[in-house]
Amino acid sequence: MRSSRSRRLISGFGTWSDQRAERTLGALASTVLILILGMIVFVFAKAWPSFSHNGLAWFGPGGNVDVQLGQIFKSPSDSQHWVYTMHAWPLLYATALTTVAAVVLGVVFAVLASIFIVEFAPPFMRTVLDPVVRLLAAVPSVVYGLIGILVLVPFVGNHVISPHEQSSVAYVVQLTGASLIVAVVILTVMITPIMIAIITDALRAVPTGWSEGALALGVNRWRVMWTIVVRAARPAIVAAIVLATARALGEAIMLSMVSGSVAFAPNPLDGFLFFLEPLRPLAATIVDNAEGLSVPPFAQTIYAFAAVLLVSSVALSLGGWAAKRPMRRFGVRL
Amino acid sequence: MLPAAALPATAAAKPTITLSGSTTVAPLAALLIKKYLRVCNHCAKFKLLQGGSNIGVSDVAHGRVSIGDSSRDPQSTDPGGLVFHPIARDAICLITNNANPIANLSQTDVQTIFDGGARSWTQVNGAAITGTIDLYTRNAASGTHDAFAKLIMGSHGVASFAAQYSSNGLVEQSVARDPHGIGYVSLHFANDVHPVAYEGVACTLRNAKSGQYPAVRNLYMVTRGNAVGAVYKFIHWIRTSGAANTIVASDWVPLH
Repeated sequence: MRSSRSRRLISGFGTWSDQRAERTLGALASTVLILILGMIVFVFAKAWPSFSHNGLAWFGPGGNVDVQLGQIFKSPSDSQHWVYTMHAWPLLYATALTTVAAVVLGVVFAVLASIFIVEFAPPFMRTVLDPVVRLLAAVPSVVYGLIGILVLVPFVGNHVISPHEQSSVAYVVQLTGASLIVAVVILTVMITPIMIAIITDALRAVPTGWSEGALALGVNRWRVMWTIVVRAARPAIVAAIVLATARALGEAIMLSMVSGSVAFAPNPLDGFLFFLEPLRPLAATIVDNAEGLSVPPFAQTIYAFAAVLLVSSVALSLGGWAAKRPMRRFGVRL
Repeated sequence: MLPAAALPATAAAKPTITLSGSTTVAPLAALLIKKYLRVCNHCAKFKLLQGGSNIGVSDVAHGRVSIGDSSRDPQSTDPGGLVFHPIARDAICLITNNANPIANLSQTDVQTIFDGGARSWTQVNGAAITGTIDLYTRNAASGTHDAFAKLIMGSHGVASFAAQYSSNGLVEQSVARDPHGIGYVSLHFANDVHPVAYEGVACTLRNAKSGQYPAVRNLYMVTRGNAVGAVYKFIHWIRTSGAANTIVASDWVPLH
């Protein structure tokens, strides 16, 4: 009796029946689902007053977001008179603009760099590049933010923008160097290593028989990579885009440091100045204003920003899944 | 972010006093606690957290800490029943880039600059540079912004295109790196930049102490209801004892 018990203790997990393992692991996995569901419900419950007071106008343009945030923060203590007016368009637009621009730039760069690393790089370069890419993917965003605010922002402000350009728009917006272009460049540098890491793995996972067959028919290496290997790795490229977009959407600290921290919507009709105009995405607005959470209507507005981000990332996952489905038939799964 | 605050222990022998809130008050509170423990080691145990003025006010209102630190005045949205105990004062400096060492700005100058009325340094008396004025401010929830708006801006609003940062340090760094910049920070942060005299008085600790420098705000410790027991003893010690006064006077402005 005693010996069998101690044996059971020693062997531990090893003696679990399949049924028991299935139930335990299933319970763990469901906990994650419950946590996510609970989080979504919590954020929406907190955010609801901000949405319901503004209706669809919440998502539209109108007025200045920073002025509106200030008025919400200074709401009277009487909950009947809390201020909720919020037209968050500049923040939504800034989030979409930085994310899309960085992901588009990043994916081009990542695919080409991955092809080089997998197919063309000499072996010694490959052994250096692989770990370096993974290291870059793990650098904390605040480090990128520091480099941005200490190096790139002053450079753009003092050498790229002319005093004439600054004074021409002085009464509308200030061009200090903290701008769309700096935000997009640093964001691209942040998300590209993740994409390279995923895409190189996928390119390597394509069965060598497929490319060897093409090579035997006299196709050159570049054409094999482009028409066969990259094509077969498309589902993984979509997965990389989804992950990178999620990181770009949620990036807060770095963007709050380099994007100019003002709720301005850069106008593409301004030509070159468009790239030098400041903006502030949703996530950056949340960290910048986290201090004001003690004021209830202000907190509800901040939760509304969080709710929009949450919905975007859920939509992003679903979109990635839908985009990958038709590619799966001839693709490499990852 | 704010770590979970421990509940105040109710042990009669050695009560624990927990503090959270303003990052401006935190270094002062740390020095005061150190001295207080030397004076009266058996009086209390301390836990000091940061997070910002509004965090401190909200924490103490919910009973999560015994004392909330605040660098802003009480406001209408604060929960009822809070008592703000002033413990020291702190000056707010206007800062420009070292390339633009302006000698003096009057209140009207500052108001015209920050409300967006003047957009070029050529419109400002004593400016050493030309070109556009770049405004660096704090966001609505900041205690420093609250004080700046009340003490200096009065009825004038801050221009909507001004960059809004979430800390003194970011404003200081931005002005230090932008020759066209102007901003405002707590006195301790006016380091790599040029502190501008305001209304003819230089922004220094000495001038703030003598009462000549006008833009000075209160720093508070906030309690829910009147302070009692060990908390009362601590705050009373800060406000009355000579030792505490010496600490406050080292880098801040004493109340008396």
